[in-house]
Amino acid sequence: MNASRQALATQLGFREQFRRPLVLVLLVVIPLFFISRSIAITLPTPRTVGLPGGVTVATTMKDIHGAIMATITVAFLAGLLGVFVMQSALQADRRLVIAGFRPLEAIIPRLVVVVVATLIVVGVSLAVTAADFTPKSWAPFVVGTLAAGLIYAGLGAISGALLGRLGATYLMFFLPMIDIGILQNPMFGDGRADDWATLLPGYGPTRLTLDGAFSTMFHAGGDLVLSAAWVLAVAAAVGLILRRSVAPRR
Amino acid sequence: MRRAVSSLATFSFAREHLRTPLTLVLLICLPALFVIASAAVLGEFAQALGGTVAGNSASALGAGWAAAFLAGVLGYFEVASSRGADRRLSLAGFGAGRVALARIGAAIGLALLASAVAYLALALRVGIEHPFHAAAAIVAFALTYIGIGALIGSLISDALAGSLAVALIFLLDTFSGPGMTSSGGISVLMPTRKAADLLTAAGAGQGSPSGDWIGVAVVAATSLVLAFGAFWLSARSRTR
Repeated sequence: MNASRQALATQLGFREQFRRPLVLVLLVVIPLFFISRSIAITLPTPRTVGLPGGVTVATTMKDIHGAIMATITVAFLAGLLGVFVMQSALQADRRLVIAGFRPLEAIIPRLVVVVVATLIVVGVSLAVTAADFTPKSWAPFVVGTLAAGLIYAGLGAISGALLGRLGATYLMFFLPMIDIGILQNPMFGDGRADDWATLLPGYGPTRLTLDGAFSTMFHAGGDLVLSAAWVLAVAAAVGLILRRSVAPRR
Repeated sequence: MRRAVSSLATFSFAREHLRTPLTLVLLICLPALFVIASAAVLGEFAQALGGTVAGNSASALGAGWAAAFLAGVLGYFEVASSRGADRRLSLAGFGAGRVALARIGAAIGLALLASAVAYLALALRVGIEHPFHAAAAIVAFALTYIGIGALIGSLISDALAGSLAVALIFLLDTFSGPGMTSSGGISVLMPTRKAADLLTAAGAGQGSPSGDWIGVAVVAATSLVLAFGAFWLSARSRTR
C-alpha cells in the first residue's frame, strides 16, 4: 500500500467533514441537550442495579440514567456518522479504485474519519456526563462508551453501504434506542437484560459502563472481552463489505 | 392522463426510497419492534422522569413516536436529496406544484405504512380501547413530522446534518411531551403535544375534547402546507 496516497485520501476525507460545520455543531448540541436534560429531569428514586460478577448496588434512577445516557447517545450518533460518512464515500471511492487506488487504500481513510468522529462524540458525551454524574471508576466507563460507539459506527457503516439512506437512518436511530435504551437499560423491569438480549451488540458495552459507573472494583472482564470481540467482528465485516462495495464492477 | 402521470410520479418517488429490498423490511419491522419493546417500559420511564402518563397510555406513545421519526426522516430526504431531479422534472413540463403534490403523496404513503405497522403492533401488544382515536393520533404524529422533515430539508442540504437536526427536534419533542416529565416548561410548544394528548387518552380508553381534535387537525394541516411549500420551492426553477 502507498502511504502517501493513503495520507492524502485521509486528509481529503477530513477536509470533506470540516466543510460541514453544522454537523460539528450538532454533534456537540445533541449530547449537551439529550444527556444533560435526561439527567436533570430524572427523579432520584431509589433503585438497585445488578453489576457484572453478581454485585448489587443501591443507587437512584437519576444516577442510572446518568450512567447510561452517554452510551445511548454515543451509539446512535456514531451509527448515523457511520451511515453518512460511508454513503458519501462510496461513489467517490469507487472512482478512486478505478483510478488506481487499491480498495483498502480507499477504505482505510474513511474508517479513520469514522473512528475520529466517534472519538469526538465520545469525548463530548463524556464531558457532558461528567458535569452531572461522576462514575466510580472512569476507565471501564470510558471503554464501555467507546466500545458502544465503535460497534455502532461500524454497524452504521455497514447499513450505509447495504441499505438506502432512509432505511439506514431509521435503523441507526432506533436500533441503539431499542438495544441500549430499552433492552439493556437497568432502569426497567427487574434491571437485568433478558437472555436473548445478551446477544445484541449493546450488551457488553452497557455492562462495562455500568460496572465503571457504580463500582470502584473491576468485575467486567468477560464483558470487556465480549465488547472487544464485537468491535473486531464489526470492523472485519465493515472491511469486507466496503472492499466489495468499492471494487470495480465487471 | 395528467392524473395518471401524477400517480405514476407519486409511486416512483415512493419506490425511490425502497430501491434496496431491505428498506421495506426495515420500514415494517422497526416500528413494530420499537412499539413491542417500548410498550412495557414507557410507563416506568415516565414515572422515573416524574411524568403522569402510565400503563397503556404510555405504551401508545411509542407507536406515535415510531411513525413520527420515520415520517420526519422521509420528509427530510424527499426535499434534500431530490432538488436537482425535481427541478428538471418541473422544467420538463410537470410543474412545481404537481411535483410537490407527488412528493407529499409519496411521503404520506410511506408514513401511513409505518403508522399502520406501529398501530397493529400496539394493538397486538397491549390492545387499544379507542382504536379510531389512536389511529388518527398516530397518523397525526406522522403528518406533523413530514412537515418538520421537509422544512429542515429546505434549510439544510447536508444529509448527516439534516438527519441529526430531525433527531434533535424529535428528541426534544418526545422528552418534553405531555405526561413524560414533571418539569412542564417547553412541552406546550412541542409540535406533537395535542396528538400525544389524543393518543394517551385513546390508550386509556378515553375520548378527547373537541379542542384537542381541532388542535391536532390544525397542526397536521399546517405541517402539510409547510411541506408543500418546501417541496414546491425545491422544485421550482431558479431562473425565472
